[in-house]
Amino acid sequence: MDGTPADGTPAGRTGPARRRVRAAVSAVPSIAVIGLALAGPLLAPHPVDTPVAIPYASPAPGLPLGGDQLGRDVLSRLLAGGGELLVTSALVACLVTLLAAALGTVAALRPAVGRAVEWACDVMILLPAVLAVLLVVLSWDGGGRLALVTAATAVGLPYAVRVVAGAAAPIAGSGYVEAAVAGGERLPRLVWREVLPNLRSTLLTLLGLRFVAAVYVVSTAAFLEVGPEPPAADWALMIRENGPGVMLNPWAVIAPSLAIGLLAGAVQVTASALAPRTGRQVVDRR
Amino acid sequence: MAGHLRRLAVFLAGRVALLAVLLALVFAAVEFLPGDAARSTVDRGASAADVAARRAELGLDRLLWSRFTDWMTALPTGDLGVTARGEQVSEVIGRHFPNTLLLGGLALVLTMAAALVLGGGAALRPLSWLDRAVSGTSTIVMALPEFVVASVLVLVLALWTGLLPAVTLTGTTGRPASWNMLVLPVLALAVPQIGWNTRIVRASLADEAAAPHVEAATLDGLPPARVLLWHVLPGALPAIAAGAATSAGMLLGGAVVVETIFNYPGLGTVLAGAVRDRDTPLVAGVVAVTGAVILAVLVASDLIRDRTSVRRP
Repeated sequence: MDGTPADGTPAGRTGPARRRVRAAVSAVPSIAVIGLALAGPLLAPHPVDTPVAIPYASPAPGLPLGGDQLGRDVLSRLLAGGGELLVTSALVACLVTLLAAALGTVAALRPAVGRAVEWACDVMILLPAVLAVLLVVLSWDGGGRLALVTAATAVGLPYAVRVVAGAAAPIAGSGYVEAAVAGGERLPRLVWREVLPNLRSTLLTLLGLRFVAAVYVVSTAAFLEVGPEPPAADWALMIRENGPGVMLNPWAVIAPSLAIGLLAGAVQVTASALAPRTGRQVVDRR
Repeated sequence: MAGHLRRLAVFLAGRVALLAVLLALVFAAVEFLPGDAARSTVDRGASAADVAARRAELGLDRLLWSRFTDWMTALPTGDLGVTARGEQVSEVIGRHFPNTLLLGGLALVLTMAAALVLGGGAALRPLSWLDRAVSGTSTIVMALPEFVVASVLVLVLALWTGLLPAVTLTGTTGRPASWNMLVLPVLALAVPQIGWNTRIVRASLADEAAAPHVEAATLDGLPPARVLLWHVLPGALPAIAAGAATSAGMLLGGAVVVETIFNYPGLGTVLAGAVRDRDTPLVAGVVAVTGAVILAVLVASDLIRDRTSVRRP
């Protein structure tokens, strides 16, 4: 509005080097939270499944966040409770990104596949992710973590494929890919050698955003009690289980809420720092 | 005009076909996954014969295909079938859906109002402290699951300060007993969506601000607020409408969680119970109505895009 370019940044301040530094700085909180969640079980001062105090004990020396509904140490459960969420979400994000990379590039190279993808997206957009996951996980008796991962992957895939297909379309139409097609290159080679290497930054951003979306879906499933079973320490489950005693020891609810919030927020900040800064692409995020 | 209407009709028919495909998928998912309605609705310790009798009573011994076609052909007449507990699906949904629509509708209105004010304010002064604060906060907030937002809101606004009730009590009419019971559920639903839409508003306004006609208006010396409202906003509307349409889906999905937390008498609670009972007609009915609502919002956003993009090259 006052003569600045589209992203609202004065000219000359967003060189590639500067953006790389910004992306690196924005990755620090993510790495810290993820590292803490993974190393957490080793740091836990108490066992996660044995009472060490009265139920909903207030914070005390040696028990900095107090006790939960069975008197177990909230801090220890907090430190142990992120690992599964993190691993499951990372698995979903990797699966979605890999499948989307393959499907999306094929869709850009083969119009028939492209139309099918477009159509599948239109169907999936009518089914909210939480409904879909609830449906699959509860209907699939004993499906456990496999059911959750399958459902979360299926729900995230259409959006991711559309993003990759959109980014791959101009490359698929470029001169050198046309030359490779004319030279008789087969589809797998076109996908892996010609198109995908040009999509590295798109795929990296997509991986980050799919990770955030997976944290949302996986933790929401756990909160609705269709994920990890109780005695397991899990942030979402802790929030649900300790709800009734929130007045006695609010930390049993606040601490895991903050943990999920920090994880989702930190990864989101990193992913958006990597993302291309235009408005219209943001719309297709979920 | 006739051609325009025909195009609209074809477009709508295509969208309705999508909904039918989705319903078929949902029906298949509930059928092919292990577990069935007969076993989950008989008493514990019932004999194999009891379960078989219950299956026959529910029509579960009939062929899958004939059950599906029966259900689909009755659909246009508003007959959604009978639940595993013997109630009319349309009645169960009719009792709860207005509550969910009220919750989601209020959340959507709040979302768009807040997003337009915050995103517009940020776009007016790029790189100001306001812009940085709004952009940073919205980036983090949009990633938060509704149950995290709800837990913090309950703790602060209900338990510590006592300003609002922490659960929804249902009155004799089946509606929430008092208006202030809606505040926390609406906020919990809207906050993540406000974050997301604020970013879309901010970014699409910034994209549009680079257009030549906007620069011309600025050079003519028009005040920034006027340029924003009259020259930038119309071009940014399609992206903003698409963002709002996608939020409608997120709001209905999030309603399942938020209704569970606040004990709100809506479709989310019905769905959670229905899936646990493997109650195919009820689950499909819930998906049908939420899908229809999302479809309607998407069609509306497509029409806005049609309207506003005609005059642009």
